[in-house]
Amino acid sequence: MERIIASFVSALRENGIRVSPGESLDAVQALALCGMEGRRSSRQLLRLTLVKNVNDIPTFNEVFNRFFSRFNFVDPQNEISEIMDAAIINMEGEFNYLDQLPGDDHDEGGPLLKLDSDINPEDLAELKSLTEIDPDDTEGTEIVVQMKGYRGKAKKAPRPTRRYTQNPLTIELNKSSSVQMGITFTVEEQIAMQDVVSRMMMRLRKDMKRMKNNQNRGKLHVIKTIQKNYRHDMVPFQVALRRKRREKPRLVVLCDVSFSVSHASRFMLLLLHTLQNQHLDVRSFIFNREVAEITEMLANMPVNDLMEAIDVGDIVDLDENSSFGQVFLAFKKRYLENLRGRPAFIILGDARNNYDEANDWVLDEIREKARYMLWLTPEERDTWSRGDCLMDIYGAYCDKVEVVKTVDDLSLVVEDLLRDIYADRADPIDRKRLLEAKAAEIYDSKDYYTRGAGGNSEPVFDPAGRSHW
Amino acid sequence: MITEQVVKDLLNTSGYIADEAIATAVFLALHMEKPILIEGPPGVGKTGLAKALSSALDFPLVRLQCYEGIDEGKALYDWEYGKQLLYTQLLRTQLDTYLSVSADLREAVERLSAEESLFFSKNFLVQRPILRSFLSEKRSLLLIDEIDRSDDEFEALLLECLSDFQVSIPELGVIEAKRKPLTILTSNGTRMISDALRRRCLYLYIGYPELDREVAIVRAKFPDLCEVLARRMVEFLRKVRELNLRKPPSVSETLDWAQVLSILKATQLTPEVVANTVGVIAKHQTDLQKVTDLAMQELSATWNG
Repeated sequence: MERIIASFVSALRENGIRVSPGESLDAVQALALCGMEGRRSSRQLLRLTLVKNVNDIPTFNEVFNRFFSRFNFVDPQNEISEIMDAAIINMEGEFNYLDQLPGDDHDEGGPLLKLDSDINPEDLAELKSLTEIDPDDTEGTEIVVQMKGYRGKAKKAPRPTRRYTQNPLTIELNKSSSVQMGITFTVEEQIAMQDVVSRMMMRLRKDMKRMKNNQNRGKLHVIKTIQKNYRHDMVPFQVALRRKRREKPRLVVLCDVSFSVSHASRFMLLLLHTLQNQHLDVRSFIFNREVAEITEMLANMPVNDLMEAIDVGDIVDLDENSSFGQVFLAFKKRYLENLRGRPAFIILGDARNNYDEANDWVLDEIREKARYMLWLTPEERDTWSRGDCLMDIYGAYCDKVEVVKTVDDLSLVVEDLLRDIYADRADPIDRKRLLEAKAAEIYDSKDYYTRGAGGNSEPVFDPAGRSHW
Repeated sequence: MITEQVVKDLLNTSGYIADEAIATAVFLALHMEKPILIEGPPGVGKTGLAKALSSALDFPLVRLQCYEGIDEGKALYDWEYGKQLLYTQLLRTQLDTYLSVSADLREAVERLSAEESLFFSKNFLVQRPILRSFLSEKRSLLLIDEIDRSDDEFEALLLECLSDFQVSIPELGVIEAKRKPLTILTSNGTRMISDALRRRCLYLYIGYPELDREVAIVRAKFPDLCEVLARRMVEFLRKVRELNLRKPPSVSETLDWAQVLSILKATQLTPEVVANTVGVIAKHQTDLQKVTDLAMQELSATWNG
């Protein structure tokens, strides 16, 4: 049994679920406690002990079905040998087990033959060689091992011929993958983004902690200290310090999803998704000509599904030309009123308005509500003045306009922003003091000229200065 | 030997209708002596499970409600400074006579420091929930509620307690649990719990129950509500959950509504009834409208037909 569990765990790991050795030991212990009665209960046992994240549960179910589907669970009371027999019979019947795949999505009305461009001749050869294994020559567990890894491909392979005779033949080609390729994320991309964001969060968290400590090093709270030490005869064993209120940084993101910036916006969306998983207060909107909020969807949907929904135009219509003016107007009408606190705004877009009305006064109003406004554009500065780009007009209302091209750029910019917000909130008084001090400093124009040279406007040649050459 | 079925039946008798996953998790936790981490949307009975278990198994419930800034002084143990000071005051005369024997100051200090451990003994230790459940004579049920509200530091603090069931107190050494408590942690998922903590627990996700189980839950709590109405109610609420509301109604809302309906002695689910009681189901202004609209759509049709 340990071997089965071990290979099952490695199958889980291949599918991106992190399982520690301790957890697999737990699984073995649990199975020993409850016995392997029935498929459902063993699935539950394994799930309870091996999966520690809600998002992993669907993957787990899939892997479980795929991994254990080779056994027909004939009857819980049956001997192991009988189960093995059933497995062998399954193997000998050519691809019979395909019919029993619980995840078999092959409904009668659907297409019968799925041609997959991914499958290459070698895979097919491997697939064929599957049937040539002689079960009598091998031990039970080895069959298990040999079967592993082929099932995924087997599922993609042409269906058993028996099906063709039942229904008229229809063929569906895989949708041309070139379009989808740019939109959905590969596992590596998602992991890389998680990595970038988690590192960013680590750095931020450290900074925040430092700031928090600084806050705690505030003045003595006399009343609280007296209250706290009342029972100690007023001997101040415990000191209570004043503490400044700390608020969570809020972020509002408006992201252009039109085709012209899709390469940048997809990373922005992935970043948002990951940020939201870190439980920052982020509200996300996407727009093309119309604007829609996707905060909930980002939180609840797998990111690839969401990207697909955006890409086919389910959320905002992508066939129209993007119009920043209209979007700002709609945003002001629908959302601006009920934004909590003073969030920081990030707008991602190329500011190409398609010669529509600019409505830049709305941006002014949004700026009033916002603590900070940042515009991210994927275009280089020299192209801003060309064509229908309104970057110069819109940029005037923003605190900062940044050119962002890669994931690293993006995460750096967002990190800086978050840090700014935090710093801003952490020490509002200090900041104010700083500004006051700056304002109080009288700018003495003479200073500039008199610096160093002692009133002499002409720089003096100092021979002693060169002595060390 | 308690089996899964027994767990299920026990929970049933105390009014908690458990499904197979819940029963298995409890069974495993009892035998493997591992904590259970329960996640799920608010109001599906995470805390309820702990309460039901404590009454069903007759384990005293020790509850620790987490909040931002909770620390070991609130969760594990604390020294009773006040009592320590009070004792030194009261024992002053004894101390005087005890110390008067010593010839000089040095010897007095030595004598006193020899008795130091008296003041850092269990007498002056305030047991906070975790330590209290560890030291309980009877096997107890430790509920660490809404762990996601606490800070990272606190989570790290829990690691030792949950994996080895022991508490290290610098002055006293390691205190091990007399009886390992059945530990339940709940989380609403407002913050990611670290993998280190997850690894030490069995993981149970409780989602919204299936139709039949939810009806059974309603029936168990309110037996006088007729079966048909309960079923209609639950069916309606399941449709409401699909509306994409800001706060979808959970099992606790179902039960509240059932109570309201049984107080009102409603026998039929009509749009009017829903409109009058909609505040029980929906908790946001925008949601209210959506629910009443759905009621008009769904229930008036069946009402007429």
